[in-house]
Amino acid sequence: MSVSEQDHTVINGVDVDAFQAALEAVGSQPAAKHAPKASRVRWMNGLQFKAMVRNHTFIVDEPAHLTGEDTSPNSVEYVLGAYGACLATGFVMNATKQGIKIRNLEVALESTQNNVFTFLGLNPSTDGHPGFEEIIAKLFVQADADEATLHKIWEHTITTSPVHNILTRIATIKPEVDIIP
Amino acid sequence: MTGNGLPLYPVTVVGSWPRPAYLLEALRKRQAGQLTFEEFNAVADRAVLEAVRYQEDAGVDIVSDGEQRRDNFYSFVVEKLEGVKLMSLADIMDVVEDKASFDKILRQADAPAFAIHNTTAVGKISPKRPLALDEYQFLRKHTRKPIKIPLPGPYLLARSMWVKGISDSVYPTQESLAVDLVEILRNELIALRDAGCEFVQFDEPVLTDVVFNAGVKERTFMCASMSASSGDPTKELLFATRLINSITEGVDGVKTGIHVCRGNWSRKDEVLLKGSYAPLVPTLMGMAIDQLVLEYATPRAGELAAFEHYPQKKEIGLGVANPRSDEVETTDFVVGKVKEALQYFAPGQIYLNPDCGFGTFAERPMNPAEIAAKKLRVIAEAAQQLRKSVN
Repeated sequence: MSVSEQDHTVINGVDVDAFQAALEAVGSQPAAKHAPKASRVRWMNGLQFKAMVRNHTFIVDEPAHLTGEDTSPNSVEYVLGAYGACLATGFVMNATKQGIKIRNLEVALESTQNNVFTFLGLNPSTDGHPGFEEIIAKLFVQADADEATLHKIWEHTITTSPVHNILTRIATIKPEVDIIP
Repeated sequence: MTGNGLPLYPVTVVGSWPRPAYLLEALRKRQAGQLTFEEFNAVADRAVLEAVRYQEDAGVDIVSDGEQRRDNFYSFVVEKLEGVKLMSLADIMDVVEDKASFDKILRQADAPAFAIHNTTAVGKISPKRPLALDEYQFLRKHTRKPIKIPLPGPYLLARSMWVKGISDSVYPTQESLAVDLVEILRNELIALRDAGCEFVQFDEPVLTDVVFNAGVKERTFMCASMSASSGDPTKELLFATRLINSITEGVDGVKTGIHVCRGNWSRKDEVLLKGSYAPLVPTLMGMAIDQLVLEYATPRAGELAAFEHYPQKKEIGLGVANPRSDEVETTDFVVGKVKEALQYFAPGQIYLNPDCGFGTFAERPMNPAEIAAKKLRVIAEAAQQLRKSVN
């Protein structure tokens, strides 16, 4: 749905002018390219944790079959959901930039892990790792554009997706410990 | 000898003294609810007497009880006031909207939310016990020296205790909370005066935060006080002055002081503030306070010339020993500082003390008692030297 309200053009619910201005503002600060982020995760009880990011909080839990309360997704499920949301965000953003109206969109994901038993301590050998083995990410979309255009947007979305790059590249992790007396 | 019976250049302390191990164990038990207030204080009695003996043996003229009964210089009010709760930042962040500013404080302090606590107004505040009168009365029975009692300042308490999302159910604004705080602190000052206390010092370290973090509205970490500000230094300094004056004006017969430091709760200089007192001096001069207890033992405090436009207007509690360093100052160093101060203060206006307490936080003393005592001894020796030169 494209709506013009006074001087604003809104496509897919996005104020295109405001969005473009926001991108230009970010682009004018070279240091912004590193996009620093912070999160604080606190143990609540059992296998339940509270994650805080800016002024938001979300709970991380384990499913009942692993003795969690199952009030919320577990960490790996959040990553899967984040990947899907990131792909969806990228597709909507890229389509909107081209003025393409989207009528419906979903990303369905499935994953397998290499060997989650190594995390659970069920396999004391070093056989494998608990990370993702394979992720299938399938886009369902109804939009006012031809198939070739939509495929091109999807391919561009994948290669430029931050979470896709998180999953496929190797970050430098720096763990630290502070024992509080 | 001065008119009040004290020698020239009286030697005193800022307040806190390192806690012995047995006292820390008792404090932890108290905090875990395993000791009553009375049981804890019975243990603290012994630590107070030890702290006072260190001071007397070092030659201190005006002693304190070393704040041995307090976990830190301001959060002890939780034990003394109704309507106040010591909340972990974890608990606070669960409730407030502005979680990000508390997270920023934690990153500044490099600490987890569960380990940092804030004294928070959760209801109408009122006295449960005296703030410090009982501390004074105990010490009075065990020393003939004049006694200094430190109290948290009203501005410090108002800024740290008022938390939006928690306190505003009872106190719509920080200012409304301050009204009750002023009444409590003024009554305490009068009670201490009436009991014979010679010197009451109000601790307001957050004033340096006002001038050195000007414009910052979000909470900052200053001496573990999670203080939120309007971000307007002029407004904040006027507010702080109004609060202090509401407490002290018209209360004669007791010396009053205000202690303003840049934070002496860590040995890491990079987490502490630094800068001259010059931006604060006009405000301090407008306060109805006899003595300014300031730190001048390290370069980060700037120059005493900050007082050149206000000669001999108030007394100074001249900081001449760094509580956070291993090195013990020399008498020459202390004498040199006094000679510098004499350019701006009359001899009878100069008191000598360390820059700050030696144990702002019970669990994190800046020095062991033996080093602290050596530093006090040097100050006392320097004072003797100066008195001899006058005679």
